[in-house]
Amino acid sequence: MTALVPTRDGVLRFLSAYAIVAVLAAVFLLAVLISDAFLQPKYLFNVIRQIAPVGIAAVGVTFVMILGGVDLSIGAIISLCAVVSAVLMNGEAANLPMAIGVTCLVGMAAGAFNGIVLAFSRVSPFILTLATGIAILGITQIFSGGTARGIVSPGFREFFNYRIEGIVPVLSLAFLAAVLVGVLIQKRTLFGQYVFLTGSNRRAAVLGGVPVRGVTIMAYALSGLFGALAGLALLARSGVSSTMSGQGLEFQILAAIVLGGTTFEGGRGGVVGTLAGVLVLVIAFNIVNISGLPYHLQMVVMGLIIIAASAMYGQINARSQ
Amino acid sequence: MKLTKRLFMTTAAALAALGLAGPALADKETEERQTAAAKEAVDTSKFAKEGPYTIGVSAGYLANSWVVFALQHIHWEASEHDEIEKVIVTDAAFNPTKQISDIEDLMRQDIDLLIYWPVDDAAIASVLERTVEAGIPTVQAGGGFTDNAGTVSNAYISQWRLGEMVARNLMEDLGGEGKIIAMLPIAGTTAAVDQLDALETVLEEYPDVELLSAEYGDWNRAKAKQITENLLQRFPQIDGVFSPAGQMSIGVAEAFEEAGRLEEVTMSPGDEYNGWLKWVAENGQGGAVTFPTRAGQEAVKIGLSILKGEDVTRGTAVESEYIAPEDIGDHVEPDAPDDWWSTELPEEFLPKQ
Repeated sequence: MTALVPTRDGVLRFLSAYAIVAVLAAVFLLAVLISDAFLQPKYLFNVIRQIAPVGIAAVGVTFVMILGGVDLSIGAIISLCAVVSAVLMNGEAANLPMAIGVTCLVGMAAGAFNGIVLAFSRVSPFILTLATGIAILGITQIFSGGTARGIVSPGFREFFNYRIEGIVPVLSLAFLAAVLVGVLIQKRTLFGQYVFLTGSNRRAAVLGGVPVRGVTIMAYALSGLFGALAGLALLARSGVSSTMSGQGLEFQILAAIVLGGTTFEGGRGGVVGTLAGVLVLVIAFNIVNISGLPYHLQMVVMGLIIIAASAMYGQINARSQ
Repeated sequence: MKLTKRLFMTTAAALAALGLAGPALADKETEERQTAAAKEAVDTSKFAKEGPYTIGVSAGYLANSWVVFALQHIHWEASEHDEIEKVIVTDAAFNPTKQISDIEDLMRQDIDLLIYWPVDDAAIASVLERTVEAGIPTVQAGGGFTDNAGTVSNAYISQWRLGEMVARNLMEDLGGEGKIIAMLPIAGTTAAVDQLDALETVLEEYPDVELLSAEYGDWNRAKAKQITENLLQRFPQIDGVFSPAGQMSIGVAEAFEEAGRLEEVTMSPGDEYNGWLKWVAENGQGGAVTFPTRAGQEAVKIGLSILKGEDVTRGTAVESEYIAPEDIGDHVEPDAPDDWWSTELPEEFLPKQ
């Protein structure tokens, strides 16, 4: 009988593995205490839809960070892809498959460029992706002429914003599907294992026969692909309204990933943690917004919630080791 | 009120008392003082010279559609004057330090007139003064009135006046009563501070209108939508929306529409952003109060007058105009992108679509 009673160590090990989920639960509990809106399925799925562009991109960047890298160009890739897809759609439903396909290729190409340079040089990922981001921003301006030209195909936004049973927006399901794909890549593919091996110990990975260069290129290409999907999600969520619509999202994306337990050192973390980190961020925003605090106080309190969540995560982890 | 919420609000109030909430600085008196300063005459004799002229344009940024249209207005107006030989444009890309270098580079290229819009007024004040000391007149295009020694004249748009026009039209459409929310640009910017002050000033005349909440959507359609979704959750009744920026107005209106509450709300006029004009044309309400992209054109006209030694004042207001919903058909371009502006630019000067 005693075997069924959880021991203190067992609880701590469980908490360590799912620390971010515990933090998410705590933040969610706070949200429910502040407003009962967080108990309404329609509102909750709407919250998931709100964060879909950031969340989808975060799935891809997670692999780059497990690898020990970083992708600061992701915001610029999102902006570029949102503009490119709207231009290619050109207001025609028939253009949709081509526009989506080309947009994904553009995102992948931008990411692969980062990966190729990093695989064959000693440039720091931080500097390279920062510079790539600036260059992509410039390319977006040249391509667009400074206005977010392009018209979204009829039906595109309507489809993604349609609520199944009047509750679940398709876009929120698209985000969850992206997470599922990310989890499958992480857990069920050789590439997923190689990313962890490379991020844990690059030299050992090379000696062990891991194709480190190929893995690096693929991880960044994957980040670019998810960035393209995030651009499409942004387009679906709010239409094309600016050539810089993804600007600043890279910081939300990195914050969510780190909050989710993936470290800058690499070799640790995962997509499920990123999902939880993304949800902590969006719930924190909505808590302060829905509570009716003055704007500047919203910023202060949101910052405090994120710090508290991060501290709580660190505490649980430390106590279980 | 739940205990947690009460505790949360009490903490918030305490922090507010500590002055963390950030004061708004603009007011109606500032607006009136600036209007008076704008009427002062400029001594143009020290800048008068014969053509041909080279115009330098120091753009603080070119990465939004409004400034792209304003720049095209500069090119169009310049093309109408044979005495203007060349227009040289630099883009500081939101970097104040680069804008200083840009202006210095333009001076080295022997420009005769500098037209600019700033990233940060304070950062470029010194280089603008040096520009004027070098005998090159400076004209600020499209922002609020700038009363610095380095700014010879302004083609300015008053955010306060625009906010007042939007507020008055909303009050009229609401019949002088109801509960409203306000969607403002980036907190702390002149646009946000002036628009809110104008709204609050107008509201003093309408005691039956309650401002439920003033929010900041950062000129971002997605963020405005996200914030409005929460406002809809907080407030069971919202009769009106004050939102002078059309780009954000679309996000707000979409949130109401998706919540099935569009029927209950009266939208204020937005600006002449094409996406918003499309919404007005489809829904028959709201209208527009313009934020004229022709400010760039006015800046060229002012600059030429200075170079010719003609009478010029410190500021020329580029007046906003109200466009009623029933007249929106003359301004909306249904086949153009959302990120487009109603304009009088001739075909050859339109930005690429």
